[in-house]
Amino acid sequence: MSDRINAVDIEARQERRWRLGLLIAFALLCYALRDLNWIVVWDSAPYLLRALGASWALAIAAILLGLLLAIPLAAARVYGSRWLSTLSAGFVELIRSTPELMLMFWIFFALPLVFGGAVSKWWSGTIALTLLAAAYLAEVVRAGLQSVPRGQKEAAMSTGLSASQAFFQILLPQAVKNMIPAFVGQIIMIFKTTSLVYVLGIVEFFRAIVNINSVEFASEPLYLAAAAVYFICCYALSLLIRRFDAKYVIYE
Amino acid sequence: MQWSIIWDYREAMMHGLWVTIHLSAVGIAGSTVLGVMVGGLSQASNYYVRRCVDTYIEVLRNIPLIVKLFFIYFAAGLSEMWAAYVALALHQSAYIAELVVAGLRAVPAGQTEAAYSLAHGRRQTFFYVTLPQALANVIPPLTTQYVQVIKNSSVVMLISVVELTGVTRQIENDTFRGFEAATSVTLVYLALVAVVVMAMNLLNRSLNRAGVRR
Repeated sequence: MSDRINAVDIEARQERRWRLGLLIAFALLCYALRDLNWIVVWDSAPYLLRALGASWALAIAAILLGLLLAIPLAAARVYGSRWLSTLSAGFVELIRSTPELMLMFWIFFALPLVFGGAVSKWWSGTIALTLLAAAYLAEVVRAGLQSVPRGQKEAAMSTGLSASQAFFQILLPQAVKNMIPAFVGQIIMIFKTTSLVYVLGIVEFFRAIVNINSVEFASEPLYLAAAAVYFICCYALSLLIRRFDAKYVIYE
Repeated sequence: MQWSIIWDYREAMMHGLWVTIHLSAVGIAGSTVLGVMVGGLSQASNYYVRRCVDTYIEVLRNIPLIVKLFFIYFAAGLSEMWAAYVALALHQSAYIAELVVAGLRAVPAGQTEAAYSLAHGRRQTFFYVTLPQALANVIPPLTTQYVQVIKNSSVVMLISVVELTGVTRQIENDTFRGFEAATSVTLVYLALVAVVVMAMNLLNRSLNRAGVRR
């Protein structure tokens, strides 16, 4: 017993030392980088924050619209007939095997052919990100649906619920509980991918950084700031996943 | 639609394909070596080394590839090809390290104990018993990571390396036939991905047959 407490104590002490070391290393890094032209970053902060808002808006729109597509895709994959299931799997694999950049270009070039006129870059970007989100979220929803025991569907049907009632009232709610950590992981992925709509000329956070750099020529502080902002946003979300994971383990 | 444009650009496309294959191969090799090294350190007895591994993974995973690429190219000032190699390898190495960490953790404790009781040292146990089993188990998810490297190599076009995606832009700039170019280049990427997936499946099956994994 005392051995065990001792081990926990040592672990806690090492963790405290590690955090202190990390803090000192960070302070040294800041000191080493003090001569960079940070004024540029500070002066353009309002512009950058607005652009960061645009990045988040793109990510959230893509996730919400993508989820609308992902649920039927996953349902078709798990409960659909053979060829519905193959069709859904084919779509998901097609999107997941295409480079994100190529998907954006392709949508950008294909939309005018479909709508017969110029389509704004915002629409192209949102649609490309939505398709990406749909494919990745369909996999998340599929894993969630497959984690619900078969008996649940059979039980729901045998109490007289219709197929859609069983899906929306019994199966999906149970699947959602298991999906949350993977779902947050995909939010992080989509948010990072918004940096690529840069190529379409949409002024999101990364484009804003590049725009300022092309006027001010201060690549070191600007790209370091970009890395820091992306890191903070994504790391905060990944801490959230860890909380869900921990909770889930406790309750199971 | 004017698909003949693709034929006119066949040499540019072949060159682009070659650059993409070249970048992907270096990226895959580099990220695997780095990833296995960093992931292997997660088994170190020193607490601080293990925490460094966590930090490496978290920092590299949470920064988009394009930010790393632009930093390495514009701020650190490497040449375009070297910036591409370093960025692709560093970016994917974090994901591969995470896989290796999980793979090492999944090797049953009995294996380590058996190795110790056969008088293997810590290092021998790691290199002859734990690591080979972990790597064999990690091959299916590793395939996804390699596909990711191929996909990510398209981002390199933004620092003016003319690979397949760069050729698309070139065709669009010259002829305004962006749709035809994007469609055919996407198909080439899909073929490339299919080849890698098939090769990894073959490797996986031959490992199964050799009985490396139960």
